[in-house]
Parts: sequence; structure tokens; C-alpha cells
Amino acid sequence: MPSITAAIKLVASLLRTPRLWLLALPLLIAGAHAQTPEAAVVVIVHPAMGSETIPRSSLRAIVGMRLQKWPVDAPVKVFVLRDDSPEHATFSKTILQVFPHQLRMAWDRQVFSGQGQYPEQVGSTQEMLSRVASTPGAIGYVKASEVNQNVRVLKIR
Amino acid sequence: MCVFSRFARGTVAIVLAAGLALAATAARALDLLDGDFQLHGFASLTLVNTTDNNFFGPSDDQVSKDFSEIGVNASWRLSPELHLSAQGLSRRAGGTDDGDVRLDYGIIDWTALSSEAGRGGIRLGRIKTAYGLYNTTRDVPFTRPSIILPQSIYFDRTRNLTVSADGAEIYLDRYGEAGTLSASFAVGQPQTDSDAAKVALVGLNRPGSLDSKLAPDFQLLYEGAGGRYRLAFTALRLDLEYQPGFRDLLHAGKFKLTPLIFSAQYLAENWSVTSEYALRRTSVKDFGPYFYNGTADGESYYLQGTYRLAAQWEALVRYDAYYADRDDRDGQDFAAATRAPGFSRFARDWTIGLRYDVTPQFMLRAEAHRVDGTGFLAVQDNPKTQALQRDWNSFMLQASFRF
Repeated sequence: MPSITAAIKLVASLLRTPRLWLLALPLLIAGAHAQTPEAAVVVIVHPAMGSETIPRSSLRAIVGMRLQKWPVDAPVKVFVLRDDSPEHATFSKTILQVFPHQLRMAWDRQVFSGQGQYPEQVGSTQEMLSRVASTPGAIGYVKASEVNQNVRVLKIR
Repeated sequence: MCVFSRFARGTVAIVLAAGLALAATAARALDLLDGDFQLHGFASLTLVNTTDNNFFGPSDDQVSKDFSEIGVNASWRLSPELHLSAQGLSRRAGGTDDGDVRLDYGIIDWTALSSEAGRGGIRLGRIKTAYGLYNTTRDVPFTRPSIILPQSIYFDRTRNLTVSADGAEIYLDRYGEAGTLSASFAVGQPQTDSDAAKVALVGLNRPGSLDSKLAPDFQLLYEGAGGRYRLAFTALRLDLEYQPGFRDLLHAGKFKLTPLIFSAQYLAENWSVTSEYALRRTSVKDFGPYFYNGTADGESYYLQGTYRLAAQWEALVRYDAYYADRDDRDGQDFAAATRAPGFSRFARDWTIGLRYDVTPQFMLRAEAHRVDGTGFLAVQDNPKTQALQRDWNSFMLQASFRF
């Protein structure tokens, strides 16, 4: 395995080069700065939804487009904001506890193998609120401060 | 026939390209039936240059443009239980794929069981073969970690045999607090009717044809911590028979291929590590004196890391190793028996790559390979065995678009 040995030597010599570590420093700092506190996001559903709470694992399956039916037998309709919107990032990371790019990969895998569909993307918080309020079986998310009386908040249990 | 097929190919390519452009602009409008009908697609073009040997067309000391992928799919959710989907694919890949449009998958999916804790159902039709982590979307550039998948496991040479099969698949998903457990079992007829499938197994200029029995395929996949880590086991069995043609040197031989694949992946916010190991038992018999009969355990593995350098930039490093026979890693026994080079029985590939997502729909990639061995090269692109070079490099550029 001469190529492996050569590669390990190369990597080892790179790791010993302090200048390369300096190059990595801005990235580390940028990474640290990305962790600024975010406004709380809550899961919202159509007002006629019966249940008050949902297990995190079921919510992941629903948003992952792998569960199309509520326990009461109604079809699920998932609304999301753009992948790069702050609400989507907070919803993914703090509520689902997955990274937005993981969600995107999971959707891509299903859509391009014929096993599922993408959720419907809406353009704004206003559209999210109105679509969830008017679509039976709908689920979405908004900042906690933007919840109105036309939708219901679903708690994670 | 040849003229016609070239004409048909050209026409189909134009129709597909036009459809793609049309569909892209009308994508939002096509979100018919309140989003229950969806139309999506992708297109890619790759330039390949190699220092020696040919990969995906004439690439030796020149630039080959013979690798492109175009796909369009439609899906329709009729009810929470019933889902229909189909994808058309046109793929050009040097001498192994000519761009003819084919049905990549066409599925009726019935989710018979569904609860908060899981689901189960059956898929009927042409179903993508569960095989490792990447196979079901292997032709979609955005879902691949690199321009070409690790060839030791996802051979582009023999892809037609494992890409999809006509039959049925039962699936079960269990959504638990710790993670999701998915199991699938399929039985289907693999696609053996293409020339590429035949040539990959019996070589060039064979007048006979290849038949396959129904092939079973089993996969168990565990996705922990919301998919942060993924562990999978795949077992597939292919049972193929060669029907000799007129004045054929080969007898009615049999191939039995049984790949077992172990997969592991860890995804962090800005980096990922993926590794897969495959043990491939290959039994070749009854082909007669003009063929390399025998049983061998092939071995393949790769270790791959990616790192997100910035929001739209990702770097990749991978080591990928392929051995046709783990008891004859350097191919010396094979060389002695066939007078073909021993290095055609293995390939060790160091890859570095860079991905730039210009927009979520448009992606550019660059990739360099340093390869020792020619184990995964296609004979269609390299018909002269004696002209093969053991050590070779390749450089690829890819642009891809999706909607």
C-alpha cells in the first residue's frame, strides 16, 4: 500500500504546517459566530387538528415526507420556508434536531427515486400562516411571536 | 437502423432539453392539484480528461464530452395511501451508454399501514434497486458526493444490472425516539437487455444474450439522531445465464453475483464521513475453455470525507479500493491464466473534489483522481487490453442543473 503511506505522510506534513492552521482560523471563528441566539420557532397546524402534541420522531417523519396521514386519518400537508430562511434553520435544528441540508438530502433522495415528494415551499411568514390556516391537515412553523388565532400550536412531547 | 437510432437519439435529446427548459420555467405553474402533482428534473454535462486510458469516452490526452445525464420525473399523490411516480432518463457515458431514453423507474406505491410510529407498504413496477447509500439516485448529480460515485462499489461499467428491476418491493419504516429503522425486500427482473450489461460480463463482440432470473434484494437502514448517522446493510443476488449465439466461442455459462454491502455515514453541520465495504462473491462457470471460469470473492471499500468550506463550497477527499479477487489482489494468477494484465483486476483511486453551488438549482464541480490499476475501466472505451496503463490520472469538470 505505497499510496496510503504516501498520503498519510502528506497529510501529516500538512498538519505540521502552522500556516495552514492559520488559514483554518477564520473558518472556525465564522463557525463560532454563526451560533447567535435565534428567536423561538413553534410548529403550527390547521385549527381543526385534534391533537395537542406530537412525538419528535413522528414530526421528523412528517416533515421528511415519509408519513402522509395524521392519526385521525386526515392527509398531511407540509409547508416550509426556503432552506436558507432563519426560521427554517431554527425549526430544523432546535425542533426537529436535524440540519437543513440533511432534510434537503432526504427529500432529494425520495423525489429522485420515486418514493416521495417535496413539501410545499411558501415565500413568507404571512403566506405560511394563511396557507396553514386554510388547508385541512396542514403543518408548518413560524416565530412564536407571529402566531395568530387562525392556527394552532402543536407541542413536541 | 443505425442512422435511425442516431436520428431518434438526437430528436429525443432535443425534446428532452426543450421539455426541461419548458418545465423549469413552468415549474411553479405545474404544481397542479394543490401540490399533489410534482414535476422535477435534472441535467448535467461532464468533461473528462485522463493522462492514460479512456474513461467515459475518448479522454486519453484529450477532453471527452461523452458523459451527460438528463432526467425528468413526475409524481402524483392520489391519497395518503397511494402514490404514483415515473422518471425518464437519458444518459450518455462513453461506450457504455448512448443516451437512449429509458424508463428509469415507474412505481405504484401503496402505503397499506400508517401510524405515528411507522408505516409499511408495497411498491410495484420498475423499482430502483436498494444498494448501498447512493444507488437509488445514482444518476442525479446533486445527490452524489462527487462527479462519479466510488467505482469500487457503484461500477458505472455494470450499472444496468443493479440500477432498477421490474417487480415488487415490500417496505417497513419504524419511527422511534432514537432513530428510524427501515427495511425493504424486493424481487425483480434486472435489466439485462442492454449491450452494456452483456459486455461488462462477457466482453466485446459476443453474439449471445444474457438472461436473468428474478433477483432478490434486501436492505436494512438505520438512521439515528434524525439522520445524523446512517448505518445500512444490503444483500443482493443476481443469477444470470448466457445464451450463446451463432458460432459462439462461449458455452451456456452462468454468473452468480452476491454482493453484501455494509455502509456507515456520519453527517455533521459542516462535515461528513462516509464509508462502505462490499464483499462480492462472483461465481462464473460452464462458459467453456475460452473464458475465465471460477469463483472469487471480490472486495471493495472506500473512505470519504467532505467539508463545507463556506456556505456554497464543499471539498471532498476519498480513497477507494477495488479488488476483483481478494485472494489474488495483484491479479498475478489471473494474468498467468489469461495473459491479460494483472492490474486490470484492481483499482486504487485517490480522489479530491470541489463543489460550488452557484444557486440551489445550479452546481459546478471539479474533481481529480489518481488511480493505480484499471479494474473499473470499461472495455468499450478501452478495447485494446495491451494498451492499458496501470497508473493514470483523471480530471473532470461538471455542470448540473435541476428543477
